Amino acid sequence: MPIEVRNLTHVYMPGTPFEKKALDDVSFTIGDGEFVGLIGHTGSGKSTLIMHLNGLLKPTSGDVIVDGLSLTQKGVSLRSVREHVGLVFQYPEYQLFEETVVADVMFGPKNLSLSEGDCRARAEEALRLVGLDEPALWEKSPFELSGGQKRRVAIAGVLAMKPNTLILDEPTAGLDPRGRDGIMALMKDIHAAGTTLVMVSHSMTDVSRLCGRILVMNRARLAIDAAPAEVFADAARLREAGLNLPPCALLAERLREAGFSGIPREAYTQETVSRAILAALGRGDAACR
Amino acid sequence: MQMTIGQYFPGNSPLHRMDPRAKILCTIALIVGVFASSNLWAYALLFAFMFATIRVSRIGMRFIVKGLKPILFIVIFTFAINMFFTVDGEVLYAWRFIHITDRGVRSAALMALRLVLLVMTTQLLTLCTTSIELTDGIEALLKPLSRVGFPAHELAMMMSIAMRFIPTLLEETDKIIKAQMARGAEFEGGSLIQRARAMLPLLVPLFVSAFRRADELALAMEARCYRGGQGRTRMKRLRFTRLDAIGSAATLAAVVAAAIL
Repeated sequence: MPIEVRNLTHVYMPGTPFEKKALDDVSFTIGDGEFVGLIGHTGSGKSTLIMHLNGLLKPTSGDVIVDGLSLTQKGVSLRSVREHVGLVFQYPEYQLFEETVVADVMFGPKNLSLSEGDCRARAEEALRLVGLDEPALWEKSPFELSGGQKRRVAIAGVLAMKPNTLILDEPTAGLDPRGRDGIMALMKDIHAAGTTLVMVSHSMTDVSRLCGRILVMNRARLAIDAAPAEVFADAARLREAGLNLPPCALLAERLREAGFSGIPREAYTQETVSRAILAALGRGDAACR
Repeated sequence: MQMTIGQYFPGNSPLHRMDPRAKILCTIALIVGVFASSNLWAYALLFAFMFATIRVSRIGMRFIVKGLKPILFIVIFTFAINMFFTVDGEVLYAWRFIHITDRGVRSAALMALRLVLLVMTTQLLTLCTTSIELTDGIEALLKPLSRVGFPAHELAMMMSIAMRFIPTLLEETDKIIKAQMARGAEFEGGSLIQRARAMLPLLVPLFVSAFRRADELALAMEARCYRGGQGRTRMKRLRFTRLDAIGSAATLAAVVAAAIL
């Protein structure tokens, strides 16, 4: 189910003094099984962009093609597009509304007109997948749960629709370090299970840890579309887009400036950078533990 | 957003700079004027005055006309009611039970014009005045009543908080609608009961977040030592200037002239 974005432009409130161009001629294709990180400064158009990928917003011009189907054509079943392209919004816990956790997760499958039993089965499967595997929890009100648990319930609510592609907007925003690690591990699992993932984030660390490809948005335009090593090798271009390197790459950069020229520009993860530092200090691989 | 009633149009025209108290009083005077006049000449005069004022405000006529769209149905409806249900006067057209009389047409036209004028007037007020100025103005105008126990400050504070949160709640509603649509919900179509049920996934989160926001706001206000209007001073004081005198005089002249005509 590749998603193709062609010359996408979106203008909010055209013809009023509040007119704003949120997307300007953006084009890219996301292939099956990719894990794409979408980063950019606040107001760069990330959220507007992802809402086009499942037809929640209509392009002002340009086109979005999901699995060969143009979303701008008339008569396209947006519901079936939304079944295949799942979207988890920022702070998704604010959209919980049902009396019990399991009922809330069943909301999505129910909208797909599945039988009660199927809905229940999918909901339980999704809840287990996000790590909420105690049935006692399922009958609780979602409002009684902790922040991290609520977010897992909300993500399960989208996973229960069994999307081939999952898009998450800032999935770790506002969580404590443990909750954040939990969500990141969950995303890794979901990706490993064969789902295409798109993650919107400001966090360079999160993006650098998981994504195989990075899209950088800057002022409504797609500024960079490349593999992480390539993106982080060019710090100047990132800074131009109002962003910075992830901490490890930043450390490597400082060390290079301080004279350790042997540390490669492509190193950006904890592992590669520490290995490079040790190599520069003349120690072997063995010391890297 | 097609609603322009209650929306602010940023600008720096003389109309934007006028004292909100003067603007509110002028609006009230104009509304009285609209109700007090009952012939076409008076309406022509009031319309001429409105167009002149819109010119001064530097807001495009297109924007004002767009704001009239939501009331188009009401205007047509009152026009029809007045035309078909006025029975006295000379009959211009008759077909079975329908009689259209000259008086009917006249009163229908006046009614429609009256509605358009009323909406244009109030629309112009909110377009040229920020909601903060507006509530400041209302508070200042109601202040004399607080001597007899009327809670002028509290009322104004409630109004400004309510207005402050309209865009926030609209945004929130939009977000929740999109989030539920991403889960396959549909908010259009279906029977009345189906549609009412479809609102549930929207209303529950909206109420939860509204209460949360109210809690947070109350805390934030207390943290800044808010304790009602007593002894409270302002950074920007309202001042009645020459501009306000000119504006008020012009409005009053138009209203009186319309009432006499």
